[in-house]
Amino acid sequence: MPKKFSRIQILKTVTLVALAIIAVRLFAIQIIEHDAWVAKANEQHTLLETITAKRGEIYMMDGSEPTPVVMNQTVYQVIIDPAVTKKDEIKQVLETYAKDYITANLDDIYNIEGLRYYVVAKNIPYSIATKIAEAEVSSVWLKKGNQRVYPEGEMGSTLLGFVNADGIGQYGVEGSLNKLLSGTDGLLKTISDVNNVALSIGTDNIKIPAEDGKDVVLSVDRGLEKGIEEIAATHIENTAATNAAVLVMNPNTGEVIAMTSLPNYDPANYGQVKDASAYINQVTEVPYEPASIFKNFTFSAAINEEKMTADTTYFNTPYTEVDGNKIWNAEQRATLNNQTLTMKQALYWSLNVGSIQALKFLGDNPDEITATGRERLYHYYYDKFRLGQATGIELIEAEGFIWDPHAEIYGLNAAYANMTFGQNLSATMIQTATAFSAVVNGGYWRTPTIVKGTLENNEIIPIDSEKVEDKILSDETSATMRDMLINNRNYKVRSGIDKPGYAIGGKSGTAQVVVNGAYDDTMSNLVGSYIGFVGSEGELPEYVIMVKMWGEGQALSGGEAQNLFDSLSNYVIKYLKIKPVL
Amino acid sequence: MRKHKSDLVILFATLGLMVLGLIVIYAIGPMRANVLNNAYGANYDANYFFIGQLRSVAISLAAFFLSFKVIPYKYVKKFAKPIIIVALSLSALLWVLSLAGSSLAKCELGECRWFNLGFMSFQPAELLKLALVIYLADFLARKKEEGTIGQFREFWLPLIIVAGASLFFVVIAQGDLGTGVAIIAIIFGTLLVAGVPAKQYLIMLAVVFTVAIGAVATSSHRMERIYAWLDTIQGAEVTDSTYHIENAMLAIGTGGFFGVGIGNSVQATGYLPESINDSVFAIMGETFGFVGLFAIIAVFGALLIRMLKVADHTASPDQRILVVGVFSWTLAQVAVNIMAMTGLVPVTGITLPLLSYGGTSMLFIAFALGLVLQISCYTSREGINHEDISSRGRLGGSHYSSRRRRS
Repeated sequence: MPKKFSRIQILKTVTLVALAIIAVRLFAIQIIEHDAWVAKANEQHTLLETITAKRGEIYMMDGSEPTPVVMNQTVYQVIIDPAVTKKDEIKQVLETYAKDYITANLDDIYNIEGLRYYVVAKNIPYSIATKIAEAEVSSVWLKKGNQRVYPEGEMGSTLLGFVNADGIGQYGVEGSLNKLLSGTDGLLKTISDVNNVALSIGTDNIKIPAEDGKDVVLSVDRGLEKGIEEIAATHIENTAATNAAVLVMNPNTGEVIAMTSLPNYDPANYGQVKDASAYINQVTEVPYEPASIFKNFTFSAAINEEKMTADTTYFNTPYTEVDGNKIWNAEQRATLNNQTLTMKQALYWSLNVGSIQALKFLGDNPDEITATGRERLYHYYYDKFRLGQATGIELIEAEGFIWDPHAEIYGLNAAYANMTFGQNLSATMIQTATAFSAVVNGGYWRTPTIVKGTLENNEIIPIDSEKVEDKILSDETSATMRDMLINNRNYKVRSGIDKPGYAIGGKSGTAQVVVNGAYDDTMSNLVGSYIGFVGSEGELPEYVIMVKMWGEGQALSGGEAQNLFDSLSNYVIKYLKIKPVL
Repeated sequence: MRKHKSDLVILFATLGLMVLGLIVIYAIGPMRANVLNNAYGANYDANYFFIGQLRSVAISLAAFFLSFKVIPYKYVKKFAKPIIIVALSLSALLWVLSLAGSSLAKCELGECRWFNLGFMSFQPAELLKLALVIYLADFLARKKEEGTIGQFREFWLPLIIVAGASLFFVVIAQGDLGTGVAIIAIIFGTLLVAGVPAKQYLIMLAVVFTVAIGAVATSSHRMERIYAWLDTIQGAEVTDSTYHIENAMLAIGTGGFFGVGIGNSVQATGYLPESINDSVFAIMGETFGFVGLFAIIAVFGALLIRMLKVADHTASPDQRILVVGVFSWTLAQVAVNIMAMTGLVPVTGITLPLLSYGGTSMLFIAFALGLVLQISCYTSREGINHEDISSRGRLGGSHYSSRRRRS
């Protein structure tokens, strides 16, 4: 043993051993385990974040200028850290400034053990967010986000749709054009600090910028839309109807300039709607039986096939029997029953026996419905007028149903007899109005459209899409039909409702509704429709207007729909400044 | 003993570590400010922490040169009793204030360790460590001279009272286990060189060890740290309690051989808690790599070994005990801090001397190192044989032979 194994020596040994252990440990962590720690660090430090594309806005036309009807607004979320944020402080601040935006029960949140970072308020506008920030409550974050705002309020809500909490467009234009509006999200991969703020440290940062969604311009005229909604709302108030749908389109271009299903809902609070059916656009998404409006299509077919003219006569009976079913005229007058009438009169009085007669003419046998007649009617309905088929408009669409002329069912002829006056089939309003446009515009079926294009640098760029233009009726057929439809409304001119100098034609339809699988013959449940056109006298119609009115368990006749049409046609003439020819 | 030049290694190690601390705080201070501003809505300037550290270094340098050049140790020694009384009184006062809920007591995470002086905060535990070193140097040297070392009434009783009071205030009242470890290290370091009989020394060591284990085992808060530590070294999932160690090791591990370089620390951007205080070593590991940390350890090693050399060559027992006290204090803080950061021991919350951000801690250790430097001017060339493991004079050399025989 050396003489001097002093106690200092012990301390020296302790020191050297401790430092040696540390050095070995550091070597292990920094050299041997280095790669593992780097991998762990990358996992912790790398921020992988989608760069949210800005959603496009939606415009309507204001005359010839696009004007926004759906816009984006920066809103804020309030996030707290219950472990640090003082409950009383944040509670007081929120209740003072942002009472309406609170989305969470603070008492509940503070009862959850170990909870960090919780969203307690949403959709807060900038002005209020500033006040919350100024309150300087510790561990409160304001996260920026986007929210849709609707400068026109509820106007056009069933047409426009809304954007859900996940940022996905639902219903209406938001739903059908979601892809175009939402654009493509970008990607950010970067080293970030503990608050996920990107740092410039590191070499493999990636940034793929987002491609913002397109601003979409609708062909709908904002002012017209507003006016039409107001008029329709008044008519709902004054009748038994609870709902009304209106479509105004240009039959010469297929452009829709107004489309509404009332009642509207508040798209900013879409969640408060009681029944999801309130979101439905009745014009394009709901097939129904438009009733006598379809007489136009049967008559057009028979005339275009040169099987009859407006002046062709037939013997009008109170009813006609098909497949053992008595099919009655709605109009039972001594002056009409058991009389020889022209087809023009049959359309004027909307006689079902007359439209069945047209089908018989179409089948080359004036006394009965033939297979040829059914085939021809089907060819016109389905292939030419494209009824029961989606039209191709830029909206969510339903199809519909037309019986096949050789369907193996009992009473196929009776079904076809009903089809001549628009029952026992289904079609949407947009299908009906597009077909009707072909009837009155010279015989051209054109794909309807509601999108003018995208707005880029204040310029409207049309969207490439397949548009059909199909000549399905002769000029003469179309002219004959226009004459008959104007004739239908001659008494309106006499009564002063239709102003002189204009060509206004139309046809009503009152549909029985199927209740429990059969038509409700008590006539206590009816849907009223009306379709017509307006234009200057002697010229092609400028606008087609279609109206539908209904109410659960309510009887709404074509007459009530007609009253709404009367108001609308006059409004359209005034608003769009259609010139009379005097 | 004639005065000669001071120990240059201690001088330059001290100054070098201070400068290094400044550089690191300069690099990561703005990140720290950013984190606090984001998390607590604070409004710290980017240079807030650098300026704070600059001020701490300036004050510490003043204290360092004061104790090194200006105040002779014999004057310091005269105040051994008053200083320990003041230090313990301040600790007691803080305890009373914190119990009374006074705003003069500054608390963080439920532990009240600071006086809030408005413009700065003051941690009495730091003064207590210095006071204890000065007091013990004087006390033990006197007892040695009186030949009463090892006697219960004369020696152990007053020692246990002072040590017990110190530990009570620091560990129980302030919940500061890290400083508690440093105090225990100071006591046992100084006792060792004061010549306490080996048997008594080992018994006391065993008693303290037992009490310490008991204190940890009966405190759920401390057991949690133990479990967290065990979880971490076993590579378990990161939880709230293992987060600190995990991220300290992650910082050190990502540093690799050469480090990511100054200003490129990602862990300092908020991932690593206490990045500028207790965890500054981990940030240095990330920044300077193994090479840098090895150098830092070498500097600390040199500092510690040189202090032992000074102690070994100092004739006066009180000065010698004082140097060992400062040595024990430094070693405890360096070892416990770094071992916690590398997962070798549980996290206790202790600063790394001269490198961590924090004014009080740097001030007192700088003063203590200044005293060591002053003493280093009066060492003899030869090592002085003070005492062996055996209690010199009574058992003599036969102690070893007898022990060997017994074992």
